[in-house]
Amino acid sequence: MFASLIHPRVLTALALLLAGAGLSITAWQGPASAMLVPRIVLTIWCVVALAILIGELIRRVPVKRVTLTPLPLLMAAILIAAIATASLGFLIPALPLVALTLWLFRIRRPLPLLLGTIVIGGGLWFLFHHVLMIRLPALLTNGVI
Amino acid sequence: MTTLRYSLAALALIGATHSAMAADHLDIIVPFSAGGATDIVARSFEPIFSQRLGVTSVVRNVAGASATVGTAEVANSEGNPNIIGYEPAGALSIQPSLKKLPYGPDSFTYICRTVSNPMFLMVSKSSDIESFKQLVEESQEYPFLYGSSGPGTLPHLAMAALTVNSDLKAEHVPYSGSGPAMNALAGNEIQIMADTETILENYDLRPLAVFAENRVEGYPDVPTMQELGLAEMDFAVWQGVVAPKGISEERTQQYAEACKATVESDKFKSFADKAKADIAYLGPDDFKAFVQKRFAANKQVLKDAGLTP
Amino acid sequence: MDMILAAMGDAFTWQALLAIVIGTWAGIIIGGLPGLGSVVGLTIFLPFTFGMDVITSMALLIGVYCGSVYGGSITAILINTPGTPQSAATTFDGYPMTQQGRVDEALGWATFASFFGGVLSCVLLIFCAPQLAKFAVNFGSIEVFALVCLAMLCIVGISRGSLLKGLVCGMMGFFFSTVGSDPITGADRFTFGTYALSSGLDLIPVVVGAFALSEVFVRFSARDEEATTIPEARLRFPNLREIGRRLIELVRGSFIGSFVGALPGTGAAAAAFISYAAAQKLSPRRANLGKGEPDGIIASESSNNAVTGSAFIPTLALGIPGDVVTAMMMGAMVIHGITPGVRLMVDQAQTVYALFVVLIIVNVAMLVLSKPSIGLFRYLFKLPLGFVMGGIVMFSFIGAVSVRGNPLDLVVAALTGILAYVLRRGGYPLAPLVIGMVLGPALESSLRRGLLISRGDFLSFFTHSGIAATLFVLIGLFLVWTTMAGVLDWRAKIAARREPVSPSSSRA
Repeated sequence: MFASLIHPRVLTALALLLAGAGLSITAWQGPASAMLVPRIVLTIWCVVALAILIGELIRRVPVKRVTLTPLPLLMAAILIAAIATASLGFLIPALPLVALTLWLFRIRRPLPLLLGTIVIGGGLWFLFHHVLMIRLPALLTNGVI
Repeated sequence: MTTLRYSLAALALIGATHSAMAADHLDIIVPFSAGGATDIVARSFEPIFSQRLGVTSVVRNVAGASATVGTAEVANSEGNPNIIGYEPAGALSIQPSLKKLPYGPDSFTYICRTVSNPMFLMVSKSSDIESFKQLVEESQEYPFLYGSSGPGTLPHLAMAALTVNSDLKAEHVPYSGSGPAMNALAGNEIQIMADTETILENYDLRPLAVFAENRVEGYPDVPTMQELGLAEMDFAVWQGVVAPKGISEERTQQYAEACKATVESDKFKSFADKAKADIAYLGPDDFKAFVQKRFAANKQVLKDAGLTP
Repeated sequence: MDMILAAMGDAFTWQALLAIVIGTWAGIIIGGLPGLGSVVGLTIFLPFTFGMDVITSMALLIGVYCGSVYGGSITAILINTPGTPQSAATTFDGYPMTQQGRVDEALGWATFASFFGGVLSCVLLIFCAPQLAKFAVNFGSIEVFALVCLAMLCIVGISRGSLLKGLVCGMMGFFFSTVGSDPITGADRFTFGTYALSSGLDLIPVVVGAFALSEVFVRFSARDEEATTIPEARLRFPNLREIGRRLIELVRGSFIGSFVGALPGTGAAAAAFISYAAAQKLSPRRANLGKGEPDGIIASESSNNAVTGSAFIPTLALGIPGDVVTAMMMGAMVIHGITPGVRLMVDQAQTVYALFVVLIIVNVAMLVLSKPSIGLFRYLFKLPLGFVMGGIVMFSFIGAVSVRGNPLDLVVAALTGILAYVLRRGGYPLAPLVIGMVLGPALESSLRRGLLISRGDFLSFFTHSGIAATLFVLIGLFLVWTTMAGVLDWRAKIAARREPVSPSSSRA
């Protein structure tokens, strides 16, 4: 029984149900008129998520063999870069992120890696921030970087 | 690793020195997305203003949450001499009393007010209502619905104040901007709207009264609220320039002079004429006093109308 | 007649034509790049229009707008990542066709359907704008509520196979749209005390996360497999016989798009989903939809491009902007001293006619420029996969943060990307998430406004007007139809299970 619970699909459905339930608590505590639609939406969400959870428990799809990949690393890098942008500006988090993406996607020779990082990371930033004047978040108050 | 740390430290140092001194670059925050009514005025204001100031400038649209996100961005840049905001009335004088914001009316260095348009009370031309008195009478039996460009906007506030201060019975239906509200007025979903001359002219509506101290030029037959025997109600849609707190006296002066020169320039005047925006310049001190007065007045209206506790 | 000739003269200046070519081409490329959409494209070009005369600046902006709506389909078909939210429905059949090696056919249909929809809506705009505008005014809050409810039902059609999972994703998208200030009372919802959240979640960062970033993650897991190489982009236009065979689909999509576009506050993404749902019920080849059927691409692309023309109907007839983009166009008019409003058609007839001519030229330019633009994407996607993915990550970031200048939107995009990857792995369809988010705000505010107007009486919605009643009946029919089809399906399955299965028929 316990083994079946840690099946990834079951866990996903469970997480959805818990998220819906948690948000419902907030919705029912809020003002009735503003929360009218969210309450309806979250109720449907919870009922459907429960049905999915039961469905996944009954019809267990065979678990794919989990292999260790650096995908979580890429996800974490994107998330960290996104969070860092608010305080460090756009360019500084973007450069290592692009370099890491290229590296993980098997571009490992130094020259293409370096050039790719500069062109894709720095070049696009320069194009938008300085040429097209679409201001991206900046580190310095005068907006140069 | 050490090199990385050194270069980061160097960058931080550059950042620190830069933040203290005025550079030749200016960010003008517009708290709406590009192309809106305020944005258009700001974008016409920007080139003349930056030329007078002798800097290169960029309009940055930081939109969201009734213009408060962009306004908060200005307030949070305390001491930064390279950022100003082109602000609408609502974000400065209404929103801070409506909800918890990271800024208040004291979070800015006020530079100048640029334009201001009085608001009119209006109904569709297809309706048979000709006067305010008639409107009040017809509302007794079955309350009217009035539209607005959103909750807590000036059109909402003006009408809320009117329903509190007169016998008019009307209820509020907010829309996501003046356009959709006009669509609703055309379809008779709502019957009343309070907005500026631009809306009045563009959509061919009938003005019943004006929310101003005196009658407005071009509309000699439209009475003011006081003339109708009601309390003084002064609602206008205005815009102005604010800078963050903590910038030098000298910089404030520079901004104020550039702003004055801009609104007095022929180019801006001809634009304002086309866009039906009435130039109404106020200098730093007057503007500050004006915003504080409006803030207090609006706060009272919100309280009287039961919109805030 | 003189007026029309004069208008032609205005539109056929070299400045205007140059602006159309530059605008349309830039629009196609901006639209094709995941993350960058119509709004960013127009924001880039808006400052350039200040020094131009009114027709030239309109030509530039209309070019960018129409180009970007079409361009979104290119990446939707090639890499399953809609370049703009408007093209989300194009992935349903576009990407399966790519997987079957029919890229050229898919791109050809997308291009032709875009052109067809754009031109048909121009024709409607020219000849029926006042009538359509008058009809659109009848769509008050309650009618819009009924229409959006009907549109929401397309979640059912799109999440075939796992209705429940589609439904939960739809609700999730709907929920995302409720974060932030309440449109009616202004109260903050689900912000958990964080001020940055009070501006709500924007559609673009969520779409960027759900499609572009999650696609990067999916391709990452299979980065060493041969199958992940992106097929070479080619374009083959359908011939006349093929067009004739699917003409009814083209016309239906274009009409749906034109009509939805004329209603204020709906937009091209909603039109594409509604049109796709209609094709699922009405196309003669509906059984094949979702498995690589050109009708699906036609439904989506003809309708979203039809919106580009008809969004001008409320703008020109009533001075009410149909969406963000026409609002921007109105701003550009104001700068040049033209006040949009009820009298625009009368006072500025020559400018309005010139605008019509420009719209048609833009659609023709789109058709001509599709080949070189797709050629450009061919070269971009020939680069090693790493560079393509690095570029997608970078464009996603730029698109997410520049749409309203809020760095929090980047975090939203990143988190949605991770969430979307987990959901995709669990067999959840992601399109309903976008549908929920696109239609949610319209559904909620029209319901709440309707309740204000009817003084809290929901039952009176059904008897409010003829249009509303008709739409509610359609909703009822749809529900009955879908339930019956489901029951029949289920009974057929049971019957098939009872009978001994012969080896030859078991594959069906």
